[in-house]
Amino acid sequence: MIDFQMLIIMPIVIGVVLFLLPDNLKIIKGVISLLISAYTAYLSVMVFSLPHQFIATLGSINWLYIPGFEKFMDLKVDGLSKLIVLFIGIFGFLYSLYSLSYNRRRAPNSEPNHIPGNYHTYYLITLGASFGVALTDNLLLFVFLWGLLGLTLYKLIKGHNEESSAAAKKTLVLIGASDSVLILGIGLLYICSHTFKISDIHLGTTTTLSTVAFLSLLIACMTKAGAFPFHTWIPDYTKDAPASISAYLPASLDKLLGIYFLARMCMSTFILSGWVTLLLLIIGALTIITSVLMALVQHNYKRLLGYCAVSQVGYMITGLALGTPLGIAGGLFHMVNHAIYKGGLFLTAGSVEKHTGKEELGELGGLCKYMPVTFAAALVFALSISGIPPLNGFYSKWMIYTGIIEFGSGKGIANQLWMIWLTLAMLGSSLTLASFVKLISGIYLGRKNEQIGTVKEVGFPMFFPQIFLAMLCIAFGIFAARWVIPEFFEFTGIGSWKSLPGLWNAPSVSIMILISIIVGFIIYWMGTLKTSRRSDSFVGGEKLQQELSFSSLEFYKTIGTMKFFNYFYDKANKKWFDVYHLGKECVLGLSSALSVCHTGILSTYVVWVVLGVATIMVLLII
Amino acid sequence: MNSLIPLYVVIPLGTAFLTIILGRWFKAISKILTIPALLFLTGLTFYLISQSPQTIVYRVGGFADLLDIPLAIFLVADGFTNILLLIISVVGLLVALYSLDYTKRFSAEEKFYALLNLMIAGMYGVVLAGDIFNLYVFLEIASIASYVLVAFNIEKQQLEATFKYQILGGVSSLLILAAIGFIYWTTGTLNLADIARQLPDANAFQIFVSVLLISGFGLKAAMVPFHSWLPDAHSSAPSPISAMLSGVLIKAIGIYVIIRLFFNIIQINPQIALTVTILGTLSMIIGVFLAIGQWDFKRLLAYHSISQMGYVILGIGMGMLILANGGKESIANLAITGGLFHMLNHSIFKALLFLNAGSVEYITGTRSLQKLGGLSNKMQITSGSSFAASMAISGIPPFNGFFSKIMIIFAAIQAGYYWLALLAVIVSIVTLASFTKVHKYAFYGDLPSKYENVKESPFSMALAMSLMALLCLIMSLMIVPSVRAIFLQPAVDALMQTTNYSSIVLGK
Repeated sequence: MIDFQMLIIMPIVIGVVLFLLPDNLKIIKGVISLLISAYTAYLSVMVFSLPHQFIATLGSINWLYIPGFEKFMDLKVDGLSKLIVLFIGIFGFLYSLYSLSYNRRRAPNSEPNHIPGNYHTYYLITLGASFGVALTDNLLLFVFLWGLLGLTLYKLIKGHNEESSAAAKKTLVLIGASDSVLILGIGLLYICSHTFKISDIHLGTTTTLSTVAFLSLLIACMTKAGAFPFHTWIPDYTKDAPASISAYLPASLDKLLGIYFLARMCMSTFILSGWVTLLLLIIGALTIITSVLMALVQHNYKRLLGYCAVSQVGYMITGLALGTPLGIAGGLFHMVNHAIYKGGLFLTAGSVEKHTGKEELGELGGLCKYMPVTFAAALVFALSISGIPPLNGFYSKWMIYTGIIEFGSGKGIANQLWMIWLTLAMLGSSLTLASFVKLISGIYLGRKNEQIGTVKEVGFPMFFPQIFLAMLCIAFGIFAARWVIPEFFEFTGIGSWKSLPGLWNAPSVSIMILISIIVGFIIYWMGTLKTSRRSDSFVGGEKLQQELSFSSLEFYKTIGTMKFFNYFYDKANKKWFDVYHLGKECVLGLSSALSVCHTGILSTYVVWVVLGVATIMVLLII
Repeated sequence: MNSLIPLYVVIPLGTAFLTIILGRWFKAISKILTIPALLFLTGLTFYLISQSPQTIVYRVGGFADLLDIPLAIFLVADGFTNILLLIISVVGLLVALYSLDYTKRFSAEEKFYALLNLMIAGMYGVVLAGDIFNLYVFLEIASIASYVLVAFNIEKQQLEATFKYQILGGVSSLLILAAIGFIYWTTGTLNLADIARQLPDANAFQIFVSVLLISGFGLKAAMVPFHSWLPDAHSSAPSPISAMLSGVLIKAIGIYVIIRLFFNIIQINPQIALTVTILGTLSMIIGVFLAIGQWDFKRLLAYHSISQMGYVILGIGMGMLILANGGKESIANLAITGGLFHMLNHSIFKALLFLNAGSVEYITGTRSLQKLGGLSNKMQITSGSSFAASMAISGIPPFNGFFSKIMIIFAAIQAGYYWLALLAVIVSIVTLASFTKVHKYAFYGDLPSKYENVKESPFSMALAMSLMALLCLIMSLMIVPSVRAIFLQPAVDALMQTTNYSSIVLGK
């Protein structure tokens, strides 16, 4: 029997030990953290390789040997948590490897790269807490570890200037607020079901209390995973955090855990009623469209990735909301795929940033010659996130689309509107492609910016995770039906998926795509022998003007000038859609209103006291 | 062991007087005496707690009862008192440690320690006193010492603050003294346990007295609308004193007395319970909204004290309401445990936050958040410990505040006060926002060029802050049932068994 508790305890304990070591032993700390994450990755594979339908209570941790403590410490493994644990393990290892090289300074004289202090401590604590969240069967331990993740998230971004400290603040406030709401939800869940054991709770969303409980938990999931309107911390965070951390938390672990808990809620804890499904679908559709529209107009590539990371959450929520095995499997598959390619995209972004020192699309260009491996990996990720067959992103979106169509045959208001969900989801996918055309051409294509010095390919610790994730993207796409779905998503009850319409035979199509590419090349070579037609150059579907070197910043500016969109972009720039900003305005308004009353004049204060006493007297005695 | 109880009052009082008398010739005496004295009392407190749950009654002078009337002055230490003794001793000790380096810039150092000891003696007296008049006397000792300490720097702002503090303190004394007079008039006794026996069943007159008491002690505890003196007084005092005022004084002479009187002495009554809960809720909300708009580091903390005291009173008030309405005992237990736990936690993290503010002010010379920035690299201990305290007060795991917050919210939900739970959640969110604001402006962001060369605070300040930050983590263990049984449960039991107090103290 494997010692599963070590998954949770070891990273946290070692993380605390690393905290006590002096900060100048960075490399040793990095290596220790790599070893620990390698070991937990091994353990997570062991957890995953437990028999297929294995559902078991793994017993409880009581390493403090304090009586009465073990009842909070139940661990449980089922298909869903196995899946999550496996991917947390893999990502934990890959990003730890990546950080080993990423965290080193570029050159002795270059500006510091803003790696937060005690990086590895918080990295490992995050790892342990994430395993804990996925494995625990007790809501109290769950909320504890879930809150711990918000804390490490805050500590993993360094507030080195005004903007980054504002991003850190916003992140912690939104995450912390959602944790408080989660506490409220768990409290309500407890009075509805009289237990803290997650696997024992099965509630309908018919009474007010259970509905409020569901909504509270939903808010926590949405904030963690980043769904409209609670997503606003993600773009700010990814812009200023180290790329390894953007890949680790907002792109991978937070998505895995947020969607994990949502899936847990949708699959077993709650029985969704019709209007809750409708609400979830609206959230999903809004998330897809609004964030991708914002992504289109970004100039900072890490921020652009942040918005795309939000947009993809919409697909996962849509899939889960459908409630059918196909939808749930599609949503979860999309979650896994998203973690792979978005993590990968952040890694490639980090590589570019480390080697050029630039963060704006306008300052980059033409890197494909100098960083071919990074470029190839980024291209695979970009195609995958845009849903180009035969990559994995296509397959999961395909599952969600067929899920929506199948869902449309049911009765109920949400079912009747299936056309809307489908249209918005497909539109979002095409807009994602558009924003990635901008990203890829801005960074890798075109002419190299003169201001950038010599650029070379990244070293092995950064190179390997990128390639590995790119391979995963391809493999998960091509072998999705044969191997990935039956192996990883059996627990969703998708056994009968083969009978569904719209079956996509990935391997044969892949071969055909490969052949067509080869044929295309042959035709191209043959064609260049003869004179070819010349036309004005265009990129991303937009005609270029006279400029010799095009700027990717100009892409999709036309959208911003359209009247309808212009209105919304304008309001978005004024932060009208940012919950954080709205909340801040309300709180500060109330605060200044109250401050006005506090004049500092003593006689007023004495009058308050007298009035207070008199009021209480009158109320109580009469 | 009984005879050790008077030491709580005797030792700090003795230290105070010796410091004044000998300090004239021998300056260092103040420091040499204060730390061991407080260390001894801290040890004694832990010993008392390990002996719990027995209640210790000491009759000063040893007079026996005459005709069933207790003549001696009683000093009573039960489970609930022990918690307060713990707070006073631990925070007092750490604050004295912090002051070792902090007070070096004062010209009258020995007077500072004398007054600090006097204040501590007064607080010990209040929580131990078994009769209401001595309670009042000790309360005045603590208050008057604190009036002087608030004005210790003798600048315009301090003098204004202490003036307001004294006037409103005087109003509060007036209310309390009037209530004591009325109690003596009706019962003919001043002994708390005896009052509990003699007081007639609830009537309008008793409610009148109760309101006087709530207002009087509510002023000391800074409950809205009696809170107006606190932001000035707590932010103007020297930082170690602010830590004592916010961390200990408002609890020992405000909250403690309210809880003691309305649980154990005056029969629990739904109306009073409701009043206390409403006042707590009001303080909690108004305090936090006032706090988030502040730009003065210590003023922001001072407003948070109002809000957090509201949180404590909310927990305990809910417990009182449930008991008064005959609700489930287990829920009342949870609410009271949450309230007391939060009070314990608050004394540590709020004292720590004031010490942090003091450290920042000591090094940079300013309290204005707008003028600060980027100190996290320069002052790692201050910024690290302040991070721990901020997360604790905002209720982020794994710090102690998380557990008390979750207890209070769960208790509110289980008792069916959903709106109170929602308000508690909102308050904790706004608290979090205002402490991330502190961090953003004081410790993150760009370092102003004039602070390029600042260093961490001196050793004793850094040590005291680190120890307190560690306490913020360690106290989380009180959530563990076996640890809770030692520290919190005796106190909760003492309050839950409302009528037992008088019979145990009087021995019949």
